[in-house]
Amino acid sequence: MVDALTRSMRASHVLVAILVSVSLVIAAVGVAFDDTFYLRLATEALIFAGLALSVDILLGYTGLLSLGQALYFGLGAYLSALVLMVVPSFWAAIGATALASALAGLIGGFIVNRVRGVYFALITFGMAQVAAKIVYNTRALGASDGLIGVPVIDINLGIVTVSSASPAGFFLLVLAMIVILYAFAAYLLDTPFGRLLIALRANEARIPFLGYRTMTPRLAAYVLAAMIAGLSGALYPMLRGFVSPELMFFETSGNAVITVVTGGAGILVGALYGSALLTLLKSVIGSYTVHHLIVIGVLFMGAVIFLPKGMMGSIRPAIERMLARREPK
Amino acid sequence: MSEAAQYFQFVLAPQMLIGLVLGVAVILVALGLTIIFGLLDVINMSHGEFYALGAFVALALSTIGLPFWLLLLLVPLIMLPVGYIVERGLIQRVFHSGDRHVRTLLLTFGLGLVMEDAFRLVFGPNPHRPETPIAGGVEALGIFLPSYRLFLIIVGTAIIAAVAFVVYRTRLGAMVRAAAFDRDMAASLGVPVQHVYAGAFAFGVALAGLAGVLLAPIYSVFPTMGRDFILMAFTVVIVGGMGSITGVVVAGLLLTQIQAIVSLYISPVWSDPIVFGIMVVMLMVRPQGLFGRLGHG
Amino acid sequence: MTTTRTTLLAALLSATAMTSAAYAADPIKIGVVTPLSGTYAGIGQQVKWGLELATKEVNAKGGIMGRPIELIYEDEEANPAVAVQKAEKLFEVSKVDFLTGTVNSGSTLAVGQVAERAKKLIATTVSFADSITGDKCSPNVFRVNAKAGQQSTALAAWLAKEKPKAKVFFLGPDYLMGRSTVAAFKEAAEKVGSVSLGEVFAPLGSKDYSQYFGQIRAAQPQVLYTSVAGNDTVRLFAQMEEFGLLKNLTLLGASGTVTSQNIGAIGKAANGFTTGVGYSTEINNPANKAFVAAFKAATKADPDLYGTDSYGLIYAYKAAVEKAKSTDTDKVRDAFRGLTWSTPQGDKTIRAGDHQAMQTMYVVQVTDGNFKITSSVSGPDAIGPDTCTRF
Repeated sequence: MVDALTRSMRASHVLVAILVSVSLVIAAVGVAFDDTFYLRLATEALIFAGLALSVDILLGYTGLLSLGQALYFGLGAYLSALVLMVVPSFWAAIGATALASALAGLIGGFIVNRVRGVYFALITFGMAQVAAKIVYNTRALGASDGLIGVPVIDINLGIVTVSSASPAGFFLLVLAMIVILYAFAAYLLDTPFGRLLIALRANEARIPFLGYRTMTPRLAAYVLAAMIAGLSGALYPMLRGFVSPELMFFETSGNAVITVVTGGAGILVGALYGSALLTLLKSVIGSYTVHHLIVIGVLFMGAVIFLPKGMMGSIRPAIERMLARREPK
Repeated sequence: MSEAAQYFQFVLAPQMLIGLVLGVAVILVALGLTIIFGLLDVINMSHGEFYALGAFVALALSTIGLPFWLLLLLVPLIMLPVGYIVERGLIQRVFHSGDRHVRTLLLTFGLGLVMEDAFRLVFGPNPHRPETPIAGGVEALGIFLPSYRLFLIIVGTAIIAAVAFVVYRTRLGAMVRAAAFDRDMAASLGVPVQHVYAGAFAFGVALAGLAGVLLAPIYSVFPTMGRDFILMAFTVVIVGGMGSITGVVVAGLLLTQIQAIVSLYISPVWSDPIVFGIMVVMLMVRPQGLFGRLGHG
Repeated sequence: MTTTRTTLLAALLSATAMTSAAYAADPIKIGVVTPLSGTYAGIGQQVKWGLELATKEVNAKGGIMGRPIELIYEDEEANPAVAVQKAEKLFEVSKVDFLTGTVNSGSTLAVGQVAERAKKLIATTVSFADSITGDKCSPNVFRVNAKAGQQSTALAAWLAKEKPKAKVFFLGPDYLMGRSTVAAFKEAAEKVGSVSLGEVFAPLGSKDYSQYFGQIRAAQPQVLYTSVAGNDTVRLFAQMEEFGLLKNLTLLGASGTVTSQNIGAIGKAANGFTTGVGYSTEINNPANKAFVAAFKAATKADPDLYGTDSYGLIYAYKAAVEKAKSTDTDKVRDAFRGLTWSTPQGDKTIRAGDHQAMQTMYVVQVTDGNFKITSSVSGPDAIGPDTCTRF
């Protein structure tokens, strides 16, 4: 038996499958043309898609807008860089980041989940600002210069070994990683836990009467989002070989929000398409005008006004209808 | 004179006086923010850019020879229709959706991005500074204060008092508060709610513009200046209680005094985190802030 | 399949080789990753103007070994994360031979690493953090502008002569560059006999500096040294003027404290400000006079240190490529090492040991909006020891 919410999630899966297929074609074309730049740009788009995904978990499923998700992204990036500079091991960096971002998410979650609505937005904003300032002033973390010299690593995947410097290889690895994060989030959000979040969003006052606590699922969603942001961040220094405090600045958080809203909130896949679109757009517009903020700002405002469900949110219902027709009656 | 008195006169008192100037500046910016939130339930993320717009409009007009004193009157009048159009043309388009908070916040965030880049396009990336309209300073009891800052305290207080008077004591203010309290009831009593909303947004924006004109001589004018006050102004609005004018005044004075003292005794760098910490604690123990909301106040 | 591709590639390559042989005037491409938007857009503008002027001149005289220079710009938004992406685009897609333009030291260091991995060379004409040609030096990074150490040495020498045993107070922005610039000058000044009275670090981008004036007043300094820059300087100086603090106080600062970007906004409060710097429009030599006139004609603005250092870089690259007779990375690197070339600032020499340019340093004083030269320190005296150990 398939209910409407599960069908919606399946429609998202279809869109992800399309994205993955396109990505594989891109990787093949990239290899054929011996390309470096575009593959690595696409890798970066995927990494920031992970950050956007974490914003969407909060915005789309709990209705809470985080204006400071770069805090966890930056935490992951810095921690991964530090670990890699000591032990050049992919798994050590990922493991450390998963733990640390979960812990940080738990602490942050206790603070921010006391409040709702705009207060949540402002408190996440402020928390990230303060954290970014601290990093910006900490000499051990390279302060305003950031950390360079994160080594190129070989990632042992059991069957094959991928170098983080290989454009196509690392692209595929990051693609796999982001798809896993997506699948993990999608799975969790399709369980009763996810339903509870949606119910919370719809009518929080009723939930206690149904015998559920309201704090726990909210906190769990926040920790999940923090981990996804952190793990995405952990991939950044592997790609670029450095980290800088700008990764924690409001620009990074703001971009993730723009990505989710343009791509479509509450459907997870919107974050991925949004990031691809935004990265492409920035790369193209940036070559023609230095006033790219005007262009992106206007497009974003247009999306908020005219496409409240975002790009993918407007397309997904069609796929849902298609899936519904195929279901056995 | 005892040592403590001397310390007070030469260190503590000047520091607090300077904190007071900063407090008045912050209140002027936060006042518009809190009115817009209290009435429209809209977080105006582009408020800082409207503050900058006021300063830039004044800058442009002063190059054609208009005196500062005229600009103080003219710039808010120019900002009024701008704010009215933004409310009617942009905010209203997403105002009636389910998650008004998030969508209006996003919309004004986008607007802020566009405005900031537009300032750079029109005025270039480099800073400008209008001459201080009143030179010199006054010295009393050994404490020195530049005349313009004294002027700022007086004019700022007058503006704040006038705003409070309009909102709490006039028929117009009563209509505004009625619309904030119960939109449908107000509408059925003949309050033109649509115009009240747009008017209140315009009023808030005009206040930000006025703050821009007033503060430009001491804080200078450049495209990213809107970001300066934004965290502090939001903190003041939250701590004071969203929508409360009294709250903004009390919280504005309190927080800037705390900042002034912190930067004297701990370290200037800690003044921001401490103020932010106060906001967090406030949200956790008393989310509605020190004072209630506009409609209920 | 691999074989077919290799053959195809080889065929393509030989085709390109033939074309380049046929048209010897293939342009030499120089990538420019510079902030054209964001906080440092004003500096990026000077960089662009300087590079464009020199490129126009060189191309008019037949380019480099008969090949014209082509500049390709990318906006780095004063963000290292954007800078590395754009640098990679220029290296991999535009296939630039050389790259320059980065402003903040974070971007220069990060792009330097990209250059190392791409086996290309870059030069900065703006960043002045000592670390770039010091403990974080790179075989692929050159610096043609003066670093912080050169600036403070010149300024300290002037201070020792003009105000022996001066009582100095320090005020800086609270971040790495701000603190290290203050520390470098403090050390240099104390070495020549100055007395340090105290220091205060205000958050970067502070609105109001008046809250520190009580401390400064109480310390009764003769000299105030500051390392604030950009908009922060405008506010600091304006507020000091407001509070009557500029009377009987000599203002010193870093080279980036007062520049052509903010001097207009500071106005007469900048009068008397003194700094150690690698350039002033007042440098009295024919090359500089011609340069200033050409720069003004092209941009309707005065060149500042950033514009001039960027202008000089094109000539340095020209000299290096002509010496190497190639644009090959290793050959050009060798040619750069020890290279001496002439610029509007006089002759500059790149020290082989750390890739830092050595040049005469000037102490300039702002007088009615102009940077008047009051003294100078020769290149070898100002540059300081070579602390680079990587190559």
